[in-house]
Amino acid sequence: MCDCVLVVDDDREIVKAIGILLEGEGYQVLKAYDGLQALDILASRPVRLVLIDVMMPRLDGLSAVMRIREKLNIPIIVLSAKSEDTDKVLGLSMGADDYVAKPYNPNELAARVKSQLRRYTLLGDIHAGNNVDEIKNGRLLYRTEEKTLYADGEPVKLTATETKIVDLLMHNLGRVFPAEEIYRRVWEEDAYASENTVMVHIRRIREKLELNPKEPEYLKVVWGIGYKMEKQEKNH
Amino acid sequence: MDTKWKNRKKIISFTAFFVGASLTLLSVVELLQKWPGGNPVDYLKQAQQDDYQLSRRFRSYIGDRLATFLAMSTNSFADEYYGDYYYDNYYSYGYMDSQEALPPQLWEERLLAVQEEGAVSAVEGWDTGWENYLNRAWEYDMEDWENYSSPDRPLTEEQKEELIQKYEEWKKDVAQKYHESIKADQNLLYAILHDGELLYSNSDLLKTDGSMETPEGYNFFLRYENGQVRISKDGAELDVYGDGFYRADSQWYVPGYRNFQADEEMMKSVVCIAVAEEPILYSEISYGQSGYRQLDNALYWMWNNSRERQMGLRRDLCCLAAGMALLFLSLLNRKSLREAIRSLAGLQGKIWLELRVLFFFALILFLLVSYVRSDYGYGLWQELIWQYECGAEYGYLTEQLLSDLPACLWLTVFWGAWLAVNDFRYNKKPWKNSLARKLYAAFTAKELRLPLARKAAHRSTAAFALAGVYVLLMLSEALLLGHQRGLGARWSFTVLVLLETGGFFLAEYLLCLKNMETARDMEALSRRVEDIRNGNFDTKDCTVPHREDGTPSLAGHDLEQIMAQLEDIRCGMARAVDDQMKSERMKVELIANVSHDIKTPLTSIISYVQFLKEEEGLPEHVRDYVKILDEKSQRLKNMVQDVFAVSKAASGELPMHMEELDFGKLLRQTLADMGEQIEHSPVTFRTEIPDIPVMILADGQRMYRVFQNLFQNALQYSLAGSRVYVTLRRDGNLAVASVKNASQSELAEDMNFAERFTRGDQSRTDGGSGLGLSIAQSFTEACGGKFGLETNADLFVVTISFVTLEI
Repeated sequence: MCDCVLVVDDDREIVKAIGILLEGEGYQVLKAYDGLQALDILASRPVRLVLIDVMMPRLDGLSAVMRIREKLNIPIIVLSAKSEDTDKVLGLSMGADDYVAKPYNPNELAARVKSQLRRYTLLGDIHAGNNVDEIKNGRLLYRTEEKTLYADGEPVKLTATETKIVDLLMHNLGRVFPAEEIYRRVWEEDAYASENTVMVHIRRIREKLELNPKEPEYLKVVWGIGYKMEKQEKNH
Repeated sequence: MDTKWKNRKKIISFTAFFVGASLTLLSVVELLQKWPGGNPVDYLKQAQQDDYQLSRRFRSYIGDRLATFLAMSTNSFADEYYGDYYYDNYYSYGYMDSQEALPPQLWEERLLAVQEEGAVSAVEGWDTGWENYLNRAWEYDMEDWENYSSPDRPLTEEQKEELIQKYEEWKKDVAQKYHESIKADQNLLYAILHDGELLYSNSDLLKTDGSMETPEGYNFFLRYENGQVRISKDGAELDVYGDGFYRADSQWYVPGYRNFQADEEMMKSVVCIAVAEEPILYSEISYGQSGYRQLDNALYWMWNNSRERQMGLRRDLCCLAAGMALLFLSLLNRKSLREAIRSLAGLQGKIWLELRVLFFFALILFLLVSYVRSDYGYGLWQELIWQYECGAEYGYLTEQLLSDLPACLWLTVFWGAWLAVNDFRYNKKPWKNSLARKLYAAFTAKELRLPLARKAAHRSTAAFALAGVYVLLMLSEALLLGHQRGLGARWSFTVLVLLETGGFFLAEYLLCLKNMETARDMEALSRRVEDIRNGNFDTKDCTVPHREDGTPSLAGHDLEQIMAQLEDIRCGMARAVDDQMKSERMKVELIANVSHDIKTPLTSIISYVQFLKEEEGLPEHVRDYVKILDEKSQRLKNMVQDVFAVSKAASGELPMHMEELDFGKLLRQTLADMGEQIEHSPVTFRTEIPDIPVMILADGQRMYRVFQNLFQNALQYSLAGSRVYVTLRRDGNLAVASVKNASQSELAEDMNFAERFTRGDQSRTDGGSGLGLSIAQSFTEACGGKFGLETNADLFVVTISFVTLEI
């Protein structure tokens, strides 16, 4: 099995850097420097994942994503210097699966690539059977009976308290819990100076399941109100 | 107490002045009006004299009486006799009306006398009465008259004889009648004897025996005998003849002077006359004729008038004295009087001039009318009309008028004039406070420069004046209508009133229509202003607003010009805002492009630095270089991101997600979020955050960034081992969060730390972008909060305040 990744960017150094990064992770890397070239390669080679820049000559990234989506179902990660929310939404709505802003964190990028590939390859068939005791949220899957959280199909190792928090939040996707409530329901004690305690645990959980714990996608703080598990639009 | 007394003194002295001056004036006017002319001392002496019998009039009356009685005694005709008879009865009403015609021969004789002797004196003084009488004689006794007198038929001797006979009889008859008519008046007792025969007497009390004794109640006695007159008064005999010659200044006009002797017949007569000391009024009632008839009563009236005159004079003199005394009294307190007068002037000044003048003239008019309407002034009324009709040649009338006008009228004129003078003296410009001036001030358009304002002012004036004219017209027509009787006149009046009302309402309608138009325009104008204030510039149509049918909505209106100017402003502002927006957008775009352009190479740098870091076997110094490269590239990355955020926030482009959140919780969460960092730092955090929720409206994510930056800042620049104080307090409806820390380096006093790229230490060797505070400020302000920064020596205080939401 060859995890062949196509990297498209008009900046050759960046392509090269990503190439080095991903080859270090054990992927085979194909390189293209504009949209058309990328489409050519996609037509001739079996590619499992595409990393594509937005601003490129001849055919820009988003158009290329649309063209790719006409034929292929492979994961596409858009890589762009445009870091605005609107840019991200645009990219995702064009058919991309993920959006990484430049300058990227190499480790995060590698993690995202891995995550996307894993879900595409491993979990593609699991998603077919929709069990009642499973809660899916983006790349997370929580099995309520086992009380186990899976990220990209792999179990996340959580402590008992962390599992309780995850259990609470996964059962109430999108609902905001004040720290006091989390404390009361998890520790089953009256809340006193709960903010710090809860925050510490949240931070630890984040480090375990977020790709970039500094910019969490799932376990979010609602500032001034509480904490929540963000409900992801895309359920693969 | 003091001022009270002062005020009282003012009032007293002014009252004294007022009453004193009034009394003085009144009495002076009365005295002058009654003054018959001549020696004023004699005039004033009358006040003391209380005996009417000492008056000249009395003496002449007694003289006349004596002459009449003598004529009666000798049955001779005398002018005086006739005149008395005539006059007495003329003035005692009713005698004339009974129309006792005089015998025609009398007229003839009269006429003859007039024709032959040209004796004007015979008719002098009573010409109108004579003519009257003559006319009546012609009217009633035409037949008789024609019998005796006719120019072409002279009288025969027989007829003359007959006439004389008749005349003698008639004279006796008249004398008898005269006696009958006067005898009842017991104020004057008389007895007339001739040849020792008592002819006429009206009282038994009168003794004719030669003694000068008077009956009780009578103090004046006159006895004529042998052509000499003796008079005793109050028991003492008077000297009648003086040196014996009658002169113009002789007191008694009676026969007996050496140059005024009685004739033979008269020598035989004896006349006694007694006069009452205090006469009383006698009257007689005669049924079937004209009711009451007052008798002669001349003596009573003489006495009465004399007494009244005297009393009046005394009263006037008393008034004068009292008035002078009061005036003197008030002048003693001149100071308070002057103050009183000044305050009176102050009061006057407060009343509209028109009212002042109107009041004055109304008072005079009222007095005049009431005077003229009264019986007292009836004659004057007639005289006025007469003068009006006949022209002004009756010059004496003016004097008459002046002397007849009631004294209170003079008083009013005096006080009116005094008030006017007072007004002018103390109120610099008495006309200033007048209705006309007030109206002028209210409606003047003098200070208005704007055509619109002038127009509006003129319109208001027109509306007001129109209403005034209409009301005046209606009033005058109502008054006039009251005097109209005919149906035609009433109809034409009604039509006139209807026309005027119609015209009035039409004019008012037009004026008000214009006002309404302006009001609507004002509405449009203020809406437009509000729009502009709210930033709604509606940039597309940059011309004057049009109606739906395409006509300019304000063409020809008052506000057209202003609207056009406002449109200019609006267009200008729209353009300016547009330009600004464009430039802001360009700025943001520029920054976005620049940061994008920077990010691309930065990506490569960061990537390869990463590889370098992972490279094994590098010499130590190269590792150091790589480390520096890593740090700086990370910082550059942060900086690019921050610059972008700040510029977006500053241009208002930053999308905001406002929600209600607990300020305290936000702070606690942020602190918890940075817990690790704080733990590893050399400073400690002291927090004072209330447990109860402090709800504000803000974007949580942005505010997190704000406090993250602030805490970061505190961690980075605080003196090692010092404390950072984070507090949240409620101040009224504000929630104020503050972060205080002691700076490790000295703070420049005049430095604006929130300025972009400003840092406490100028060397910039640490990892911050220098945008932390700038971001904090931009984000706070974008959320609607207030960002405050204060430095006090080494103390660095940031306060962030939000309006709390009342739960």
